[in-house]
Amino acid sequence: MITVLAFTLILLAASYCAGLLGSLTGLGGGVVVIPVLTLAFGVDFHYAIGGALVASIATSSGSGSAYVKEGITNVRLGMFLEIATTLGAVAGALVAVWLNNSVIAVIYGCVLILTAAMQQRRKSDHEGVVGSPLAARLRLYGSWPQKDGTVKHYQLRGVGGGFAVMWVAGVLSGILGIGSGVLKVIAMDGIMKVPFKVSTTTSNFMMGVTACASAVVYIQRGIIEPGIACPVMIGVLFGALTGARLLKRMDVRVLRQIFCVAILLVAANMIYQGFTGGFETK
Amino acid sequence: MKKNNAKTDLQQLIGNTLRRGVMVACLIAFVGGVMYLCLHGDEPMPDYTRFSYDEPHPACYTTLGGIVDGILGWDARSWIQLGVIALLLTPILRVLLSMVDFLREHDWLYAGICAVVLSVIIANSIGGF
Repeated sequence: MITVLAFTLILLAASYCAGLLGSLTGLGGGVVVIPVLTLAFGVDFHYAIGGALVASIATSSGSGSAYVKEGITNVRLGMFLEIATTLGAVAGALVAVWLNNSVIAVIYGCVLILTAAMQQRRKSDHEGVVGSPLAARLRLYGSWPQKDGTVKHYQLRGVGGGFAVMWVAGVLSGILGIGSGVLKVIAMDGIMKVPFKVSTTTSNFMMGVTACASAVVYIQRGIIEPGIACPVMIGVLFGALTGARLLKRMDVRVLRQIFCVAILLVAANMIYQGFTGGFETK
Repeated sequence: MKKNNAKTDLQQLIGNTLRRGVMVACLIAFVGGVMYLCLHGDEPMPDYTRFSYDEPHPACYTTLGGIVDGILGWDARSWIQLGVIALLLTPILRVLLSMVDFLREHDWLYAGICAVVLSVIIANSIGGF
């Protein structure tokens, strides 16, 4: 028999690791919390999603405080795309009521596979991109400081496409409680040609706001369970803070590759169990 | 130059708000967590293996009134949920501060965009509670 105390302490330690890994790999704590809760503890997906939601906000605000100072985040771009993600999150939270554990597991597995695939991309600064007229009218250009003290300017395009993909990212956030970082990277890096560093920090900024849009609905539905939320929130936050500090002097390329394989294994497990009904309560 | 200083000041303020907000939220959740463990720590773990939308969930952590009542009555789970709500407020405050920043720069388009984002969150939250 596992007591409440034991469960809380184990979950606290696991959440710390999730926050640490999420921050080192740039995926966010929410993505790691879901398999920890569902596969390791056998917790229902709905409670796991509540935990992931809390983890996403803790990661976003916790590491955000460090990014703001560096002046890399493009607040205009983030705020403009937030319209799409918050509206998507509202839609996702509405749809979530109709989905059972199996469907959620398969969706989550697919997001993981996409995440692993996108981790293999080359990180590009997209130099010399000529911005589109719409992006110019919305003033979605920006600049970010370089290591040598100079400032680099950039322009953007593909506003419509980016906005549409962001809406989908919002829907997935609403359903899964995660930051959907992978879709945000597809939208900003792939379609809008935002420099890598800018898209990572801006995506982190957006994660917390998007999660907020569906959080109150989740509290009201009883999905955010205090017994789970408390250790997850504290653990993930301190894990993310440790990770942010380690990231400055650690080469994480090998870790990211190992993590990629782990993600694929978890994804395969999720999709298999989703199709065979392994997550349904008997 | 002056404007640049104001800009860094506000970024500093946003950064501090995020950091302090998260720490306050964590502290509240920690207090609630310690109370929860003192009261229920030696009980067997609750059954988290199944969730149903149809079964009613305790008001002490699902409704605004229930959470307020629980906080006043020192209910551990309500206190944890207060920590969660404090955590939710940090990104919302960040949007609010950005809106103030855009308003100060007379950037009406982006002040309006911030307002739209805030109203989507608030509308959905009011619908929730």
